Amino acid sequence: MDGHDQREHRADDGLNCPDCRLELQDYLDGTLEKKRSLSVFLHLRECAACRVEHDDLRAVFAALEALPSLEAPADFDDKILASVPYAAYQAMASLRRDRVPVFLEEQFLPVWLRARAVRLGGLVVTAAVAFAFAAGAGRGWLLAPGVAGVLPELLCRMQSAGRRLVALRRAEG
Amino acid sequence: MFDRHQDLKTIRRCKRGEEAAFAEILARYRGPIYNLCYRMSRNPEDARDLAQEVFIKVFRLLDRFDEEYAFSSWLFRIASNHCIDHLRRNRMRFLSLDGVAGPDGEEFELQLPDEGPGPDTVLERREAMDRLEEVIADLPPHYKTITLLRHQQQLSYEEIAEVLQLPLGTVKARIHRARAQIQQMLADRSYDI
Repeated sequence: MDGHDQREHRADDGLNCPDCRLELQDYLDGTLEKKRSLSVFLHLRECAACRVEHDDLRAVFAALEALPSLEAPADFDDKILASVPYAAYQAMASLRRDRVPVFLEEQFLPVWLRARAVRLGGLVVTAAVAFAFAAGAGRGWLLAPGVAGVLPELLCRMQSAGRRLVALRRAEG
Repeated sequence: MFDRHQDLKTIRRCKRGEEAAFAEILARYRGPIYNLCYRMSRNPEDARDLAQEVFIKVFRLLDRFDEEYAFSSWLFRIASNHCIDHLRRNRMRFLSLDGVAGPDGEEFELQLPDEGPGPDTVLERREAMDRLEEVIADLPPHYKTITLLRHQQQLSYEEIAEVLQLPLGTVKARIHRARAQIQQMLADRSYDI
């Protein structure tokens, strides 16, 4: 890239050609933050040299994504399935205690839903709605956020109770 | 991209010795693992052997799978390492056959004469994918792996970090360098894609 381009194409937001080219991969990956992405977009509109660089890189991205998918040979599974020690697994099964069912695993619920702030915020919303209704100022449309507010806490509690129940049954069994 | 909870359910069935569960895992991952092995080795027979070895190893080691992580990450990690080991073994065999080593006995990067097409042949029309496959095949193994995980398996940066057990920043930097190298190699060889 020549110095001319760098001088000619410094956009109002300060993005110059070297900066723009450093960001191109993230821009094409869609991992650039919105404001920066917009700066790159605007710079590319003005700068032909960076646009060429962008188009070349985009062609590489497109070609990599377009690599054909190949089929494994027809008899691929046979050798693998013949080698699995089924009997050993079956023999071990009675000795191995499963952990809780998948839907009772903490990770089953998304991280944001399990976040303390979300659970607490939800309860505050529900409490506010309940208070409004108790004071006679509640309106029909408030019911939806009121119910939604309690859901994160409720789901986490149900998981927790489910896990305790499973543990209890195992202890008994 | 891969359903972590569905995998976990199936793996637990595998651990009980249910034959159908192993077949389910194969149906889900046969394609991705075979393709990864093919692009790493660029040889259909090696790819079949490597992918089969990966599944045989994984199915024998299910008890070592840590359910805190995604099964797909564990599987891809084993497959990547297996392919990289294969490439290294082949390289070592090549080196030992030719007896090429540095003065201190350590191996060094070979600067082989390009046995590929000459300048005239380069001008011949070739399929864009063949050119790209050739370039990918010539990438260093760790760049090749990361490129394939990102672009062929469509894994996110975070998933790749889990597969390769690398910090996110390292993954990002490595992918950037791999793509830059692909672009450079395409330009050096005057390959138009």
